Amino acid sequence: MWQKIRDGVNIRTGLSELIDNKLKGYRVPSDTNIFYTIGIVTMAAYIVLAITGYFLLMYYVPHSEHAFGSVQKIMTVIPFGWFVRMIHIVVANLMVALVFIHLVSIFFMGNYKKPRELTWLIGGLVLLTTLAFCLSGYLLPWNQRSYWATTIVTNIPTAFPVLGDFIANTLRGGETISEITLTRFFSLHVGFLPPVFLILVGLHMFLVWRIGLSVPPLSSSAKEEKPWTGYRPVSYSKSYPFYPNFLLKEVSMVMIFFVVTFFLITFMPMLFLPEAANMPADPLKTPPHIKPEWYFLAPYQMLKMIPNKFFGISIQLIAIVIFLFWPFIDSGEERNILKRPLILGVSLILLAAWFVLTVMGRYS
Amino acid sequence: MKKIFFFLFIIIFAVSSFVAAGYRELFEKEFLSKPWGSEIKIESACLECHTSDAMNIELQQIPQDWKASWHYQNDVSCHDCHGGDSEDATMAMSHKRSFTGKPDHKDVPEFCGKCHIGILKTYVESGHGKSHIVTGEGPTCVTCHGSHNIQKVNIDIINSQRCSQCHSYERAKIIKQALFLTDKKIVAIENDIKVLKTKGVYPEQEEKSLFDTQAKFRTLFHTIDVSVIRDKTDFFTKKLNVIQDNLKATFGELSFRKKYSTLVMLLFACSWIIIFLITRSRKD
Repeated sequence: MWQKIRDGVNIRTGLSELIDNKLKGYRVPSDTNIFYTIGIVTMAAYIVLAITGYFLLMYYVPHSEHAFGSVQKIMTVIPFGWFVRMIHIVVANLMVALVFIHLVSIFFMGNYKKPRELTWLIGGLVLLTTLAFCLSGYLLPWNQRSYWATTIVTNIPTAFPVLGDFIANTLRGGETISEITLTRFFSLHVGFLPPVFLILVGLHMFLVWRIGLSVPPLSSSAKEEKPWTGYRPVSYSKSYPFYPNFLLKEVSMVMIFFVVTFFLITFMPMLFLPEAANMPADPLKTPPHIKPEWYFLAPYQMLKMIPNKFFGISIQLIAIVIFLFWPFIDSGEERNILKRPLILGVSLILLAAWFVLTVMGRYS
Repeated sequence: MKKIFFFLFIIIFAVSSFVAAGYRELFEKEFLSKPWGSEIKIESACLECHTSDAMNIELQQIPQDWKASWHYQNDVSCHDCHGGDSEDATMAMSHKRSFTGKPDHKDVPEFCGKCHIGILKTYVESGHGKSHIVTGEGPTCVTCHGSHNIQKVNIDIINSQRCSQCHSYERAKIIKQALFLTDKKIVAIENDIKVLKTKGVYPEQEEKSLFDTQAKFRTLFHTIDVSVIRDKTDFFTKKLNVIQDNLKATFGELSFRKKYSTLVMLLFACSWIIIFLITRSRKD
């Protein structure tokens, strides 16, 4: 029976040939490490967010008078609504962490070097889109924390002269967070960002598939000695097929990701939902110790510490531009970061600074 | 060449940043740390005068007392009780803006009763109220609750120290005993609601129902009639039991959620083990 179905599908689609050529024929360097699977885990996280987001959309009401109530209804009345929302919240936060880890690992392995500059650039844009997703989605429950955290974050652009107020007011649709802001963020979250994200991820994956996975810098299977004067797929001295070997590794990591997700939902359900997140938004009452989400804590703390806010914003904008175009700036051949002590030292200091600023932002 | 452009870009950015130093002072000082909402309270004309050194010490103490009060926590401000215009210093104490100022002792029940309508009615019918109406000097709201540093009421407000100021504690003690179990239940429900809020549930219905029951129960305090209190306590206990049952069901739901997500987590853990074994067997 199973064989008959398989044959039937095969005759009509040529699936076996497709698997043989495109999946089994697609080679992966033999000594890939765990970090090579983070990209696909991120993709899995996005799919989970899209599915859970779709179900949340069935009951969520994007109106300031009903948003909080509708979210509470999802949490308490709709069967398994809590489950869908908790997955959405936890996976969204984990996704930010995954994109960070993915980029940091790519950086330290030097995998952004020629011919993968565009892959890095698009990856960076994926991170920015993910943060835009988080910022826009964060306001939607219309609770005290989301209202005031969004107030802080949308105030940040006002440090920028001339255009600052315009940017902030365009984001908010006025001087303060209001019904208009909610509608804008909602349409951004469910209408604009998903197709942008899909296009970026599609381009990113196309480039990964087209160029081939990079070889770890210390790997014995590295055979990319020829200069990149024209397009060619990467070849490896030692490799194995993508399907099923590497795919199994990736699925295995996806399973671990889900275990972590459900561990957090079970044992630390309030990790991303403090008490103020369970109170309806009140524009007249600022809750004490309001902070942005953890991924915005470092830039927030940095702005607090730098006396000239415009300078603080400028540094951050420069950092984003450098980060996006780093492969074009660091265009040397050497990929092994251990042989580049200056880059290694500076990047470790920056990572440590990020961590320290995040902790300071949390507890200051 | 591109490195020169890159560094030029950074220099231009940095220089323009320094040039713009001091830009938007207000923003620099306040935007990240100011409490936007409570700013409204700080701007109150009443507080501005009452915190200034021009005011005598006794009147300067009022804002501090009020800020420590239950009224403050619930956004009940000066003008809500005393009238006047808190946004306009020139009209803050104008009778055209319904400013009433400090009420005479005999008018205190009416003054507080503008909001606490149910309690006023009960108080007027009680021994306390009747004696006040007759003499104009009987116990009023401020005798037990104070005036500005008004705290959230609990059963401990009935104590020998306070009641003995005017009469013996015996009767008050019996009233306290009659109220004790119901009050304990209210405190337990309040705690349950607090716990639920930290667990991601906002029990709005139960909170409203508790508020309503509690307000009516507090009214009962003011009858100072033991037999009435004993008769009506059962009614409140039943209402509180319904709230408590609902909350218990919510806790049960939370326990189910934990078990359910644990099960899903274990399913994924098993899937991972199976895939891991398949991967290993393929390598072998």
